[in-house]
Amino acid sequence: MTDHSETAVLGNEAAPLPKHSASEIAEEELVEGSSLWKDAWSRLKKNKLAVASLVIFLLICVFCVVGPFLVPYNSQEQDLFLGATGPSAEHWFGTDTLGRDLLVRTMEGGRISLMVGLVATVVSLLIGVIYGATAGYLGGKVDATMMRFVDLLYALPFTIFVILLMVAFGRSMWLMFVAIGCVEWLSMARIVRSGVLGLKKQEFVEAAVSLGYSHKRIILRHLIPNVLGPVIVIATLTVPAVMLLEAFLSFLGLGVQPPNASWGVLINEGQQNMEIFPWLLMFPAFFFALTLFCLNFLGDGLRDALDPKSAKD
Amino acid sequence: MSEHVEPAVPVDPKNDFLVLDDVHTHFDMGKTLLTRESKGVVKAVDGVTLTVKEGEILGLVGESGCGKSTLSRTVMQLIRPTSGRIFLEGKELSALSDTEIRKERINFQMIFQDPYASLNPRMTVLDTLSEAIRTRHPNVKGDALRSRVAELLRTVGLNPNQMKRYPHEFSGGQRQRVAIARALAPEPKLIIADEPVSALDVSIQSQILNLLKRLTREMGLTMIFISHDLSVVRYIADRIAVMYLGRILELGEASDVVDHPLHIYTRALMSAIPRPDPTSEKTRSRIVLQGDPPSPMNPPEGCNFWPRSPIEHDERMKHEEPVLTEIRPNHFATNCPFCVQAAAETVPA
Repeated sequence: MTDHSETAVLGNEAAPLPKHSASEIAEEELVEGSSLWKDAWSRLKKNKLAVASLVIFLLICVFCVVGPFLVPYNSQEQDLFLGATGPSAEHWFGTDTLGRDLLVRTMEGGRISLMVGLVATVVSLLIGVIYGATAGYLGGKVDATMMRFVDLLYALPFTIFVILLMVAFGRSMWLMFVAIGCVEWLSMARIVRSGVLGLKKQEFVEAAVSLGYSHKRIILRHLIPNVLGPVIVIATLTVPAVMLLEAFLSFLGLGVQPPNASWGVLINEGQQNMEIFPWLLMFPAFFFALTLFCLNFLGDGLRDALDPKSAKD
Repeated sequence: MSEHVEPAVPVDPKNDFLVLDDVHTHFDMGKTLLTRESKGVVKAVDGVTLTVKEGEILGLVGESGCGKSTLSRTVMQLIRPTSGRIFLEGKELSALSDTEIRKERINFQMIFQDPYASLNPRMTVLDTLSEAIRTRHPNVKGDALRSRVAELLRTVGLNPNQMKRYPHEFSGGQRQRVAIARALAPEPKLIIADEPVSALDVSIQSQILNLLKRLTREMGLTMIFISHDLSVVRYIADRIAVMYLGRILELGEASDVVDHPLHIYTRALMSAIPRPDPTSEKTRSRIVLQGDPPSPMNPPEGCNFWPRSPIEHDERMKHEEPVLTEIRPNHFATNCPFCVQAAAETVPA
């Protein structure tokens, strides 16, 4: 793309400055550039595993979001006479011990698990990127203070933190999102900060400073877009981590409360009767594991696509 | 810090375009962990006094590590000087607060060494230049802004229909042109070019040099052109300053410095330039300096050139602090008797 020879584009040096009074350029004449994002996307498209993971992940999302509308059962409708039955034509995934349809429960549990994963990741992303970029850019004492605060939060045991929050504000699903987001942003902040520290020495940041841009503009326009690559990768890998955390919290009874379900809750219920009703564990666990696999493969693919230098060829 | 010596270069902050008055930029290396002893101070710029006239190109040469880049960043106020004053058009830049300096920055811009690092890889040329233009003209938008960008691109010899491209789609020379356009966008009066061609192919170097020379003349700019390559500086500069270990050793009209160098160091630099003519190249006599430049953390006393001097000298050279003095009309050199006398004795190259 760069092999346009210099002379083709350049004017004759000896000639005086061209005096173009009217310099309107028709939109169609412009050569459209290819951004680094576009390049990364085309590299990602070549990675079959990553694309397959993306497709499967999207299918799982559709399955969980649209699915419940298509199934003639309600996730909380009990049929105690039926009890736990294996997969059948009426109940594809079988029913649980209270006679609830497992298919619809898996779908709705997936909704909650995915939502926790996404919302908490977005929360951690917003806080972590802005906090880390500010600390890294300002440097010096501000940086030291801000990062010591992060260390402090790191030292706080996560479960105690969540229990404290639950005691203070009562149990709610949204509070859990906040709690997980509050913990996950710490590593995000560290990654962004180290990225910014490296970028800060680059000449284009010096150029931005010497043009007199405000701190805010330099951080938002010049630094953050350039650390977004690793951030996206970490975010993709944070989603499954958060979903695991949610499952862990639900297991402790601090997360999603019955009769609502998440994959974590369903797996917990399933493992209690694993030997008698194995399908109760199998179906939610299958979807949970599949989602985690997809996101991890997608994260790997994104890392290779966004940073081709690190990719093995 | 060494004892303050009254500079012999006359400075007039009120009337001169750019004035550096005894500028020092030192970096404190901090203290050791346990004993809290100072790890020392790097004297990157150690008492530079200079004036730059409006409309001229001042070439600043020196080997790597001599403080050229630190000096350029100090003038740019990217690094604040430890002591000394810097005036641009009578306004003391070194006295302004960080907020005040931000508003002044449109008047002095910098062209960086590495065109691969000096452009934001996530922004198109259009975005980069628009942003820079709006530092001086915040209200220009839409088509007017775009036609200004097109104008700038033509000025630096790029085709405006490339404006929606990203830096990685250009060659090194083209990127350096974009970087030049960005430096011109705020309509500055002073441009500091920090080794703008040393990262480029030799064939592209001359194109960029010609472009810079032409732009300076036609737009009435003033430029400080920094390079380690005397042959490049000789081509572009009106006056040349030779820097060594954070100080100026010689300063004068380009033709004087090149053809009748006063200081032995300048002569050594001159004799290191290969000549394109093979017969003359064979007879080229070289002045070979001894050793490496000393550490700027612990610069030698006296004439700081003595540890490398290829000429006979006695103890005086190690103790007497030389001063930049006008030895010939408008031609300054440090008044170290050994360095300058030796130069006068040998026939100029």
